[in-house]
Amino acid sequence: MEKYVYIALFAPLVSSIFAALFGMSSKKNFVGVIASLLLATSFMASATLASYIAEGGAAIHVTMMEWIGAGDLMIPFGFMVDHVSVTMMVVVTLVSTVVHIYSIGYMDHDKSFNRFFSYLSAFVFSMLVLVMSDNFAGLFIGWEGVGVCSWLLIGFWYHKEDVSPEVNPSISPSWAANEAFIVNRIADLAMLVGIFVLYWNTGSLQYDVVFAELPHLDTAILTTAAIALFIGAMGKSAQFPLHTWLTDAMEGPTPVSALIHAATMVTAGVFLVIRANPLYSMDAVSDVSYFIAALGTFVAFFAASMALVNRDLKRIIAYSTLSQLGYMFAAAGLGAYWIALFHLAAHAFFKALLFLGAGNVMHAMHDELDIFKMGGLKQSMRATYYYMGIASIALAGIPPFAGFFSKDAIIETAFNEGTLILWIMLVVTAGMTAFYSFRQVFLTFNGDHRYKEFGIHPHEMYKFVLVAMSPLALLAMIAGFFQGSFQEFITKLLPNYEMSHHTHELVYYLGGLVLVVAVSGIALAWKKYGNGLKRDEKCENSFIYQLLKNQYYIPHFYAEFISRPYALVSEMMWRNVDMKIVDATVDAIAHILYFSGDKTRKMQTGNLSHYLNWMGVGFVLLLIVAAITTVIG
Amino acid sequence: MDNILSVLVFFPAIAGLLGFVVDKGSARVYGISVATVELLLALWLWMSFDTANAGMQYVELIPLVPDFGINYYVGVDGISLFIVVMTALMTLLGMIGMSIEKEIKNMIISLLFLEMTMIGVFVALDAIVFYLFWELSLVPMLYIIGAWGGPLRIYASVKFFLYTFTGSLIMLVGMLFMAYLYNSVSGVWSFSLTDWYALVLPENYQIWLFLAFFAGFAIKVPMFPFHTWLPYAHGQAPTIGSVILAAVLLKMGTYGFVRFSLPLFPDASVMMIWPISVLAIIMVIYTAMVAYAQEDIKQVIAYSSVSHMGIIILGTFAMNAEGISGSIFLMLSHGIVSGALFMLVGVIYDRRHTKLMSEFGGLAAVMPKYAVIFGFMLMASVGLPLTIGFVGEFLVLLGFYEISPIGAILGGTTIIIGAIYMLTVYKRTFFGPVTNEKNKTLPDLNGKELTALVPLVAIVIWLGVYPKPVLGPIDTSVKALISFMHEKARSDIAKDTITLSKSVKEAK
Repeated sequence: MEKYVYIALFAPLVSSIFAALFGMSSKKNFVGVIASLLLATSFMASATLASYIAEGGAAIHVTMMEWIGAGDLMIPFGFMVDHVSVTMMVVVTLVSTVVHIYSIGYMDHDKSFNRFFSYLSAFVFSMLVLVMSDNFAGLFIGWEGVGVCSWLLIGFWYHKEDVSPEVNPSISPSWAANEAFIVNRIADLAMLVGIFVLYWNTGSLQYDVVFAELPHLDTAILTTAAIALFIGAMGKSAQFPLHTWLTDAMEGPTPVSALIHAATMVTAGVFLVIRANPLYSMDAVSDVSYFIAALGTFVAFFAASMALVNRDLKRIIAYSTLSQLGYMFAAAGLGAYWIALFHLAAHAFFKALLFLGAGNVMHAMHDELDIFKMGGLKQSMRATYYYMGIASIALAGIPPFAGFFSKDAIIETAFNEGTLILWIMLVVTAGMTAFYSFRQVFLTFNGDHRYKEFGIHPHEMYKFVLVAMSPLALLAMIAGFFQGSFQEFITKLLPNYEMSHHTHELVYYLGGLVLVVAVSGIALAWKKYGNGLKRDEKCENSFIYQLLKNQYYIPHFYAEFISRPYALVSEMMWRNVDMKIVDATVDAIAHILYFSGDKTRKMQTGNLSHYLNWMGVGFVLLLIVAAITTVIG
Repeated sequence: MDNILSVLVFFPAIAGLLGFVVDKGSARVYGISVATVELLLALWLWMSFDTANAGMQYVELIPLVPDFGINYYVGVDGISLFIVVMTALMTLLGMIGMSIEKEIKNMIISLLFLEMTMIGVFVALDAIVFYLFWELSLVPMLYIIGAWGGPLRIYASVKFFLYTFTGSLIMLVGMLFMAYLYNSVSGVWSFSLTDWYALVLPENYQIWLFLAFFAGFAIKVPMFPFHTWLPYAHGQAPTIGSVILAAVLLKMGTYGFVRFSLPLFPDASVMMIWPISVLAIIMVIYTAMVAYAQEDIKQVIAYSSVSHMGIIILGTFAMNAEGISGSIFLMLSHGIVSGALFMLVGVIYDRRHTKLMSEFGGLAAVMPKYAVIFGFMLMASVGLPLTIGFVGEFLVLLGFYEISPIGAILGGTTIIIGAIYMLTVYKRTFFGPVTNEKNKTLPDLNGKELTALVPLVAIVIWLGVYPKPVLGPIDTSVKALISFMHEKARSDIAKDTITLSKSVKEAK
């Protein structure tokens, strides 16, 4: 089985290096094809491993070689395939394969086609390192690796120039890329701190050693580690207040948004919490875990609220990703790790499908993203309409599609734990989710053909692209039915989470309530937007609408109160402190020495009587010194 | 070849002397050949080095002034070995990539002399020999900046010389006093480091001596607030000068801390952890912010050097094997990465005769190979895992966390603010549309530049993925250094702070 581990892990790396060889030459279709084949190979290997594990095989552990060894620290390149990592591997490689094939069509006209595949495969490799590593340092390699690939891919169209945030809230791809990298770095520092705490208290960074040592540590240390690691997770998973980068990341090509900024990379934070469940499920850190759940719930609500009024097709989906990540954290924080992982997987399928559908729309609309300028696209893009419809139904949580099962389980968990406020917020968010998803679908595909004003002639995407998307559509529809078997499979490793008897009795009422809320959300969306766009000036000018539209003014706040002061202080430090104080002092000392030398030169007149005078002065001075030393000594 | 170290030290110098009779047209080829042989010798040294042995190897001792115990005394251990190899490597690659045409013969001769002094510093085990090479290294650099530099070259080179010279003189006083103390205890004169190591000094002596050596090392590093000579030196120096300065000369200061301050004055070193780490943290954060404010790409790299040197200092004073090994590894990685970055700035300066970021933009489309290599070095500079930059930085911060979590977090902000200024440089230089007409036709890297830069990219990845061949021997010697310090420390607090590795403890 070991060879499958290596195939799964290194096929994307080979693909990346292969594509990089052609990185500077003109578009070559075979680069995309070979990359996709290698990714498919990786998927096949992952699937083989998954079936092996599912059949009761023992977790596979491979250690390639030593990486860093200094002092007592020994970090190997070690990889582990167990229930959790194999689930992630299958999800990552499956979505990646689809996205690779999709990109052959989507990036068809791009002159940097080859370069794109190189970055995309490098991302998959990093993500696999992240999920397969058997120690925290290896996780960190993947963690930073996906960060760099995300930087490269967000800034893929680096030639675009900066515009003011009023024209484009993301300013430019390269700006958004830098923002994403830097914000993630803030969180990464906390993550490093978490790693340091664990190392100095357990003497290792291997998961098994660290987790075995946990019961012997005191609360303060456990809490520090739990908080620090979670802050790290907040960066990658774009949780408030480190969330702004994710919507700006939509500047990247749409396949990137589908793969990285929806299905895989942003779930790394959730994965970390799931992976570190022995830490987060300890009683000593229950407050931290509760905080994770509360923050997750808040983000679910907060992000959904911004999606309600947004006009940008991709940004709406980005907010919905944020919101769904909130759901996952809510589940993980409440101890329902397997439910979080289940939602992670289901979400990966339908969200990737949704983004790829949005990519088709963009392709058809010549990169127009404003849904107010679309409408009625279902005539010309029937397949895409179905795909996005399926994905939206799944996202909205309508049975029997995937989102219903996974999301409902999370909402039920909140009820089961007796955290009533969280439960209410999650239910309300479910309604909002249904509303904004279908607002987007209706505005894009139904009603009047507003795009005609702009002289656009939409056309459906290539056939092979549509076919490539079908596995995701299928999974978005049926993944929910595997809830039971997934639970059985994954809880061999993760702690099981069962609803109490009381919740169990109420399960149909609870599910029914959520369903009613979701359906009313859809109904409201239909009422408002089902038959074309009717602008409501009064509503659009209201305070709340403006607040949501401007993302609660948070990007503005960051620009005014963090970026600008940082630049000003830096400038001040350089021009005033470094040049005028530190350096000027050095020069002043030099000048004093020079001038004193220059002045005292006059002593050397060559006149003997002057020299005698000075000798007298010197003698007296020496006497004084001698006198003082005798007195003191 | 038992006297390989002497060969390494004096071969470039003798070749440099012979260089005076070499024809001007073939001076460059001559220099490159000599530097190649030197690098091969250094690699041979590495290959035949006994990595399991933590002590000094290839030791040579020739009495110079027996009455005062001054000997030509050299040796190499895991700590100095790789700095020697890196010195030979950077000298060679710097010469290959060099674009200077004017007075090329003098430049080659200066560089070869400089190489002698640099290697001499790192292998010297006698304080006077160390001091001689230390001071001699100023002369060729003074000449390189003063003769091939920019408009302010005289000011910059004199400032560089006088500033560092002042510090060194204080260090010399410290050395003389140390020898005097040795004499008063043992009755004989000695300037040999290994003799000095055996001398256990009272704390108050240690502090004063520590401060004297500190003056020499801190200015060289350069530590805040003694760093202002560096931006001028880099700003005015030709590319080759900056490469050598950043890659090797600055390392003399941090190497001095490890070779002299820690083992000679373990108690004082522990007492000085706080003041020094405060300076180091200021250095990390403050110069990173100053770097962000720069308009000139070369100045950004210059200030970023200071910022990274702060991390190296933090690691040196972490007093555990993780931190010190990391700090020495970081010296190497910073040498490689900052050397490469200065070469890269030189590339664009040769083409446009300006280094201002505002003059550029969109270069990624015009010069893709250049952008890729710059990108690699950028990532190594911000400490991305699997590049050379991560290993040292991670170990240093991990090590210093044991001394002070807050200190490690403050020092760790380097991963954020380092990314801020580097990404800003990259964005302003390489991204966006090509607005300046002059940039539209810039040629990409030529063969000469690629020959100099590609090996560095290879090293950045190789030692990022598999640092063991280098980190292993370093760690062996560092563990020995730490046990020695632990043994020698007088106060309990120093013994507590100097953390023995578990493996060492168990062996005892």
